[in-house]
Amino acid sequence: MADDPSVIKGAVRDAAGKPVAGARVFFTDGPAPLPDIAALTDAEGHFALSAPVPGTYQLECHSEGSVPAKASVTVPAAGESQIVIELP
Amino acid sequence: MTTEQPASNLIGPHTPVSNHPPEEAGGILLAKSVSEPPSSGEDSAEAAGADGTEDVEGHAKTEAALAELFVAPTSTELRDIGEATFGPPPPEPETVHGPDDRVQITNTAVYPWRAHASLLIVAADNSTWIATAWFIGPHTLATAGHVVFIKNSGVPGRDGWVKSVQVMPGRNGTSLPYGSVTSTSFRSVTGWTSSGDQNYDYGAIVIPTDLGNTVGWFGFGAFSDADILASQGNISGYPGDKPAGTQWYDHRNIASVDSRKIYYDIDTAGGQSGSGVYRIADGHRYGTAVHAYGGATTNSGTRIVLPVFNNYLAWKA
Repeated sequence: MADDPSVIKGAVRDAAGKPVAGARVFFTDGPAPLPDIAALTDAEGHFALSAPVPGTYQLECHSEGSVPAKASVTVPAAGESQIVIELP
Repeated sequence: MTTEQPASNLIGPHTPVSNHPPEEAGGILLAKSVSEPPSSGEDSAEAAGADGTEDVEGHAKTEAALAELFVAPTSTELRDIGEATFGPPPPEPETVHGPDDRVQITNTAVYPWRAHASLLIVAADNSTWIATAWFIGPHTLATAGHVVFIKNSGVPGRDGWVKSVQVMPGRNGTSLPYGSVTSTSFRSVTGWTSSGDQNYDYGAIVIPTDLGNTVGWFGFGAFSDADILASQGNISGYPGDKPAGTQWYDHRNIASVDSRKIYYDIDTAGGQSGSGVYRIADGHRYGTAVHAYGGATTNSGTRIVLPVFNNYLAWKA
């Protein structure tokens, strides 16, 4: 793994803007091979994924009772990117 | 705390480590053979297919697998009739390569499916994750190194051994046919825990019961390039893009191998880190790699080569 990764910090919200806990968030594409592990959002709907190299990453989010959502985020080198994923 | 083996057992990046005292880290044994046999556990088991894949209702076998059974008639490639009305389907996740061939396993209470476990992981910073593991012995499951030891996350307080892993063998949604057991005892190697080298991304979970005697376990082995490339790769695990806690299976030809990894287009998604990549030989199932990474064109797993085999042999003891 990269010694100085970037971090994608995010939140998952429902259509009403409320946090979604226990949603599964994971990479589906990126500029490098990525661990095939999925994060679960916390009680406030938050998650943080490590992006090993700078570039554009594709994320997917699934939660029971909701339509899956996809998101794209571009991260800088050794920095932090923020994203909010809304589940319709 | 990370405990290394005594100096006499050090073998570079495959030096085994544990989050427990030295006497529990496991010794290195010289294997007298290159494979360990499976066990089907208690009661009945499903027989493997004759073509090196599992016989799962509704699962389309690859052409290579079918060729093992019969010669299919030639035919032109036809698109789904739905495209005539709705156009081509939307793109699939990049870890799903081509059409999504995965099929859900619903009879997860029988072997071999019950030897795969859904994992709920609590990391050092209390973040939670899902992944997959597979039994290799009565109280040991193989998984990816990054499942049990988080490296270079960039998130304060997250790196290091995870706090706990809840192991749910044969989980099927909300059904836990063999209950769950929580582990706080993990294994990996310095190539992963110290160097963060993806070539050494493998580890194990040791549970406090001998549940493997009930659910059974997979064999595993260090096989030749020729044997691996001639085999169908099989993966079953718990992907995050499917209903929570459901087990999904797929198989395809192995695309390529190198000295440390195996590459394949077997469909996976986030949550399947740690799944076994296994071959079926003489009706028996043997892990050949630990699935670890999804890529744009191929997915990959840490290949079980001799040092990896030796560590797993020691960890299952």
